[in-house]
Amino acid sequence: MVENIEAKTKYLEKFNVYESTDILNNFGMPGSLDTPTAQSFPDGQFSISSSVFGGSIRVNLSFQITESLTGAFRYSRIPSSSGDYRGYYWDRSFDVHYLAYKESKYIPSIAIGLRDFIGTGIYAGEYVVATKSFNNKLKLSGGIGWGRLSGKNSFSNIFGLGNQRSSADVGRGGTAHLNRLFSGKNSPFLSAAYNFSENIDLIAELSSDPYIHETSSIKGMSRETDLNFGFKYKFAPSLTLTGMIMHGNAIGLTGSMAINPKNAPYKSGLEPAPMPILIGEAKISDTEKIIDATQRLLELDGIQLIDLEFQDSAVEIYLVDRNYYNVAQMIGRVSRIISKTLPKKYKIFNIYIFDHHSGFLISEIEIDRKSLMENELLFDGPDNLWKNVNVKNTAKKKSYYGSSNFSPLTWSFYPYLDVMLFDPHAPIRWHIGLEAKARYRMMKYTDISGSLKQPLAGTMDDIKRGPKEGLPNVRSDFMYYHRDIGSKVFVDNLTLNQFFKPFPNIFAQVNLGYLEMMYAGIRSEIIWKDSDKPYGIGLDLAKVRKRATEANFRLKSDAHSIYLASFYYDLPHKWNLKIDGGKYLAGDYGSTVSVARNFNNGWEIGAFATLTDVKFSTFGEGSFDKGITLKVPLHWLTGKKSKYSRSTVIRPISGDGGATLYLSDEKYLYNNIKAYDENSFQSNWKRVYR
Amino acid sequence: MTSPMKIAFLITSFFLFSCTSDEIKKNQSKEFSSIYKNLLKSKKLEEIQENSLARTKKDSTWLSRFNQPIVMISSENEKVQATLVALGNNGEKLTWVSSDGISLSYHNGILIATRGFSQDLISLNHPKLKKPFKHINKSYFKTHRFLDSTNQYEDITFTCMLKKKPTVSLSILNYKVSTDKVIERCDSNFQSYNNIYYLLAGTDIVLKSKQWISPANKSFFTYNFYAFQQN
Repeated sequence: MVENIEAKTKYLEKFNVYESTDILNNFGMPGSLDTPTAQSFPDGQFSISSSVFGGSIRVNLSFQITESLTGAFRYSRIPSSSGDYRGYYWDRSFDVHYLAYKESKYIPSIAIGLRDFIGTGIYAGEYVVATKSFNNKLKLSGGIGWGRLSGKNSFSNIFGLGNQRSSADVGRGGTAHLNRLFSGKNSPFLSAAYNFSENIDLIAELSSDPYIHETSSIKGMSRETDLNFGFKYKFAPSLTLTGMIMHGNAIGLTGSMAINPKNAPYKSGLEPAPMPILIGEAKISDTEKIIDATQRLLELDGIQLIDLEFQDSAVEIYLVDRNYYNVAQMIGRVSRIISKTLPKKYKIFNIYIFDHHSGFLISEIEIDRKSLMENELLFDGPDNLWKNVNVKNTAKKKSYYGSSNFSPLTWSFYPYLDVMLFDPHAPIRWHIGLEAKARYRMMKYTDISGSLKQPLAGTMDDIKRGPKEGLPNVRSDFMYYHRDIGSKVFVDNLTLNQFFKPFPNIFAQVNLGYLEMMYAGIRSEIIWKDSDKPYGIGLDLAKVRKRATEANFRLKSDAHSIYLASFYYDLPHKWNLKIDGGKYLAGDYGSTVSVARNFNNGWEIGAFATLTDVKFSTFGEGSFDKGITLKVPLHWLTGKKSKYSRSTVIRPISGDGGATLYLSDEKYLYNNIKAYDENSFQSNWKRVYR
Repeated sequence: MTSPMKIAFLITSFFLFSCTSDEIKKNQSKEFSSIYKNLLKSKKLEEIQENSLARTKKDSTWLSRFNQPIVMISSENEKVQATLVALGNNGEKLTWVSSDGISLSYHNGILIATRGFSQDLISLNHPKLKKPFKHINKSYFKTHRFLDSTNQYEDITFTCMLKKKPTVSLSILNYKVSTDKVIERCDSNFQSYNNIYYLLAGTDIVLKSKQWISPANKSFFTYNFYAFQQN
């Protein structure tokens, strides 16, 4: 019975709400209208919201990083008499919010938060807030705020940190101003949310935010009262519209949308059923026919058979998998098919997997046929089977080049879209065009690949600002390229690529030629990765010269080099860490730290920051290079098998400090190798019989 | 930068000629465009049309056309039906497969796994699979196992009890058969369902059943037509 109750509790937790947009405030964080509340979003929720009132526009991206920790990134238009762009500031800001205590019967939940703690500080403020709910109908919140939140009704600092808020030299923004947190006077704020009907919440709040910038400009608003009133209309858990009257003067609207990687539209997927296991002797015994039948059945499941070699009691199967993100599911399907086509005497299946891009034979997976069959329909089948599975790096030297299933030439014509964010003159700049790509594999481990682009329309060639000063212009002069390319066809990249695998766990490549729009030269990457280790090491070296700004075949005289060492680590709970260190393009020395939360289904949300020996003031706007990364897998959206995902990086305009080459994801070997390591199989092994 | 005519020409040619030599990339683009198309369409699911098998009269003549054992499954409203053939045989467990990629596995008539649904029954922990209909009016625990969106197990444990109504007449194909009707009532804090089994009177042979899969995919009927096939 105890076991039963535990199972039910687990079910309750797991079937929790995945999206909740009615607790987003105007800053995209847990809160009422402008004020915060001591709540959190469902774990993993990714929200996009925008609020408009009194001349202010806020676009917020927020993410429930862990169950208690919420983070937000915001881009805002703030009306101000001192605004540096047509009477407005365009400003980026980051917030964090930590739910320190979850509400119990008598004690309210308590949260602490920092607003705009690494921006230019226009929204900078800190708070401690408590929230108590009554019969799921009424939620009352009250708290104390500092910084911008202490503008009205303030009183002496409760921590004794003095009533004068420490000043912060915000400089070019982008730096944390920790010394002034919770300093200066503090003010109370209050809010009440009444659940009027299933879809409507009525909100009233007393806000201490003085709106100094906004009230200083005719483009802003006036502040008649401390009170804000509004309603939230919930169309669905993932979509809420908020209407409000702010400070008795400005009418406003906020739209909030959310998506949770933990809540796929097609649950566990819509792939057709796999081949069932049939006990009994296979009907065919002729080797050729076995290979033909195996190849045909594998193709139906989207898997390419390269070779099948028969040993005494084992069989070696060589495959290219370009369809399954969940590699365990692919292995399960391969094993089911060969257990159908192969005579009984083959008791061990050794499955070898090629990486399609590099041609490396990466891993060998050993499956015990008897165990595969016995566990097929058992309750704990996948877990039992895993005990008899062995994943390792392989020393085999085979190549898929020359296989009848492999075509040496691939090409495509597709549109492309380039987006650049946060130019103060136009927050979103873009360009669309056509791209022709081709790749030809000349030898086992050698290919030539390239991309031609034809820009069609957009605003990237109209960037007003010039390159930054103080460092060699290795990246910040990118606008000259867009300007000079204009509407002409250009070679985005054209390289000769050579791949090497001297040892089972050493993977390397050399790329020679036009590496990207701005650089040509030679680049090499070497990766050490053991299949059974959660970490790997890499070296990325490049000697490059600047390309002519028309991106034709001419080169400029500026020569640069990159020497970077990388350490990759798969942290527990599917968090990935990468630390790079060394010399960057502009000759600066430093390190990049990237952290990402992986949802074990292809979704990845992360952040990175690069600090080098370049002074913040020399780096310019933003002080150092940083950004947010987002990866969305296609199979999550469609329910059908696919390895493809779309990646996006949200980052300020590139500076010259901490710059590297801009190469496509597939040009980096580590993730392609990691896709077939022991950890990757184990993490989705529960799908092996799906 | 470029004349509107040129842009229009290039965009048109893109839509006409956007292509690749790579089948996998082609599929990816198709899937992507289908996402946008689905977003543009109304969210409401279209009324499910009765499929042709549901409109077909199922009798012994119809059944005689099949030269291998079949079962038929049917949605609860009997509007969507499909026949399945046995492709898997793992000990006492039989797996039946439909032409559109659904498979169902049964152990002594009890559904123990499905594949090809959005929320598949990955496996079932049933304490009495050897003699599933023996213990009438006694409660037992049964766990349905699913996969969540992050490839972890999601288990729902039910408390179940069997009740038996003897000698119920069942119309199946063009026959009237005397059966024992067994109702399996299962409850958990969050889900409840009734499974119904029609057993050939005095035996444990299931002729027809209604069994629950998952919260998303609910229940469906299984007609074990193979019990009426000659070959």
